[in-house]
Amino acid sequence: MRMLDQSAGVRRFLAVAALAVGVATASPAVAGGKFVFANSSAYDTLDPHAIFDVGRVASRINLYDGLMRWFDNPPHLEPWLAEKVEVSDDGLTYTFTLRDATFHDGSPVEASDVVYSIERILEMKKGAFSLFAGTVEPGSTKAPDARTVVFTLNKPSAIFLATVPEVHVVNEELVRANEVDGDLGTAWLSKNDAGSGSFQLTRYDPAVGWQAKRFDDHFFGWDMVENPLDIIEFRTVVEINSRVLGLMNGDFHGTDGYLPQDQVKRLAASENVNVDEQESMRIFYSIIHNGRSPMTDVNFRKALAYAFDYDGFINNILSGSVARDPVPLPNNMWGAPADVTGYTYDLDKAAEHLAMVKEPLREITLGALAGYGQTEQAAALLQNGLNKIGVETKIVTEPWPVASGKMRDEQQMYDLLFLWKSTYYADPNNWLGEMYACEQIGARNNSWYCNEEVDRLLSEARVSTDQAVRQANYEQANRLLAEDAAGIFVYNTKWFGPFSTRVKGVRFCPIGNGQEMRWVSID
Amino acid sequence: MLETTLFLLRRLASDRTAALGALIITLLVVVAIAAPVLSTHPGDVTEFHPPERLLPPSDDHFFGTDRMGADVYSRLLFGARITIAIAVIAIGASVLVGIPVGLIAGYYRNWVSDALMRISDIFLAVPQIVLAIAIAQTLGPSIENVILALSATYWPFWARLVYAETRSALNDTYVEASIALGASPWRVMILHVLPNISSSVIVRTTIGMGGTILTAAVLGFLGLGPPAPSPEWGRTIAESREFLPEAWWYATAPGLAIFLVVMGFNLLGDGLRDILDPRTRRSGDG
Repeated sequence: MRMLDQSAGVRRFLAVAALAVGVATASPAVAGGKFVFANSSAYDTLDPHAIFDVGRVASRINLYDGLMRWFDNPPHLEPWLAEKVEVSDDGLTYTFTLRDATFHDGSPVEASDVVYSIERILEMKKGAFSLFAGTVEPGSTKAPDARTVVFTLNKPSAIFLATVPEVHVVNEELVRANEVDGDLGTAWLSKNDAGSGSFQLTRYDPAVGWQAKRFDDHFFGWDMVENPLDIIEFRTVVEINSRVLGLMNGDFHGTDGYLPQDQVKRLAASENVNVDEQESMRIFYSIIHNGRSPMTDVNFRKALAYAFDYDGFINNILSGSVARDPVPLPNNMWGAPADVTGYTYDLDKAAEHLAMVKEPLREITLGALAGYGQTEQAAALLQNGLNKIGVETKIVTEPWPVASGKMRDEQQMYDLLFLWKSTYYADPNNWLGEMYACEQIGARNNSWYCNEEVDRLLSEARVSTDQAVRQANYEQANRLLAEDAAGIFVYNTKWFGPFSTRVKGVRFCPIGNGQEMRWVSID
Repeated sequence: MLETTLFLLRRLASDRTAALGALIITLLVVVAIAAPVLSTHPGDVTEFHPPERLLPPSDDHFFGTDRMGADVYSRLLFGARITIAIAVIAIGASVLVGIPVGLIAGYYRNWVSDALMRISDIFLAVPQIVLAIAIAQTLGPSIENVILALSATYWPFWARLVYAETRSALNDTYVEASIALGASPWRVMILHVLPNISSSVIVRTTIGMGGTILTAAVLGFLGLGPPAPSPEWGRTIAESREFLPEAWWYATAPGLAIFLVVMGFNLLGDGLRDILDPRTRRSGDG
């Protein structure tokens, strides 16, 4: 115990020291304070092109800028580093005009940096790569002058603009200068910052988290925010109780908005914490490995879908804090059909379908994520149901980095895996197109699901510019996926963002989960 | 033999703390064996009732219910089975490996002896819990792997102990005498040395049980033990963290159980040492 106190003391001392440094180097503006965010997962890298998940989104949106950016809820897309964008009539050419912006080292943001950034994504084949694969060819992006970037797609894409925010612009000169053996600067960029974002990295330790100070020369300026933050810190705090207690006693000023409902209630009762409730777009479901027997049999998948106690899970375990969502698309997103009622907990029907299964049965592995109790409770509940119809199961709980690695490997993937699918961009393709398109198999389609008709609908919707066609296609794809029991679709979440009562100006957006700190101030 | 056992029991009964330890352990064994009879909701090991989750202790649920609406008391009793199985098998394996290694290394004075002791030194150089975590993590979470991890990291303690005791026994006259009479090395080790060092082995084993149960609970707590929905105690405490402090009963019941059992083995171990090994007897005691 004493050890803990001591280290907390040291940390507090360091925080004060860091604050002093921050104030010393910042403009004479009023001290805006420091915001400490307790992050549930560790930042093992800061390279904006290496990761593409929500647990580690803050480094991307606070240290880096993209040409476009998502704001607010429901999310809307606005030009950001770009001043304007023009799309050609054939939908293939996107011309962005850049604003006057500078990187953290003082050099200007130029079109060539944008070109370098997209080429880097295409070459690294990590993070958001799959969004651009097949649409943007390496070498096809041009910079006719320092302020103009031209993307030429090799086929029309209805979602291209929506994915542009993921092209985080890095300082080409700086990254190249730190390249080692043609590694595209990955080693260096994983712990350093080469961005132009609202905050500039000051400290990073994979075990602790990272800290950044306000970047006064950010292109957007700071006039809109009264008393903006001086310092932001994203500290890794894996233990839920530590995050909650730290928030209640004022050590932390914010944490993730997807805590267990029991903890949300506890936070809401604290006078130091406000809980901001927002309708979000984050579905909870179980991936079913459709490529492996006996899940290849639709009757087995239906048996699985009928064996899950949706009511008990949503109303008892989650105290009704989420809404049942019978399809793989958030029910508040366009393209979600109103006429699908989905599966219910019905063991008789489950047993009926099980009796029709032709494949030999065996023990089924149910995957859950360590540290996310909800996934384990869901797995236990499904196990409970399956037990009763005579299907043997085994629960395997592993940390997210392990699970996300297995998800990309057909042999290693669990038979089922409970998890969430968050919003990376607000388009149905973010869910359906990635989760169930044949070409995404092994990348974002971790179900090894490939259905000709569904794939046709999704491919068509991906390129069509006709909103009516897109909507009809997604609705139909949802119906087919539900009918096929491609996964066990459970709920769409609400976001319960807990913040210190001293915090003002949080702008929640399902993309980024309210972690863009430039709008925030603290008393 | 019978006389020795009776003597032991009488001495044990006269030592109040040791008797308490023995009582706790007897209780643990009884509870584990009779779990299906003693538990109020025997089905709750695998069966859940979400509407009844996190209920406080009551007549129906002595220790309340957990996050899935299962009876904490019933799961606790079934958890005792896992605990005993892990401790007995892991310690048994450690003893089976550690004693022969220690005897051979202690009896002979050649390179085999050196090699065996250096190998056990390597294991002892790394903190036991760290090594156990590493092994369990590499093999994946399951009861078998916890047992394997514990056995693999515990045997050197017995090897060291038996080695040292054997070395000192070899200087005793009765060993010298039997060697002079032409007894084979195996005969000396098994019929003369082993019985004379058995008391320290018994004491070490009893105390080691407590340590093993604690380490097994740590592994379970870290998610390296048997997977959900196993009622293993360490895992139950890990699950309950999310619901503290409101659902205090959820963590308290398995926490107390671990505390009691570990204390029981330690008390019994201490008592046995007093009886069997008067040299290191606690001060101020008979």
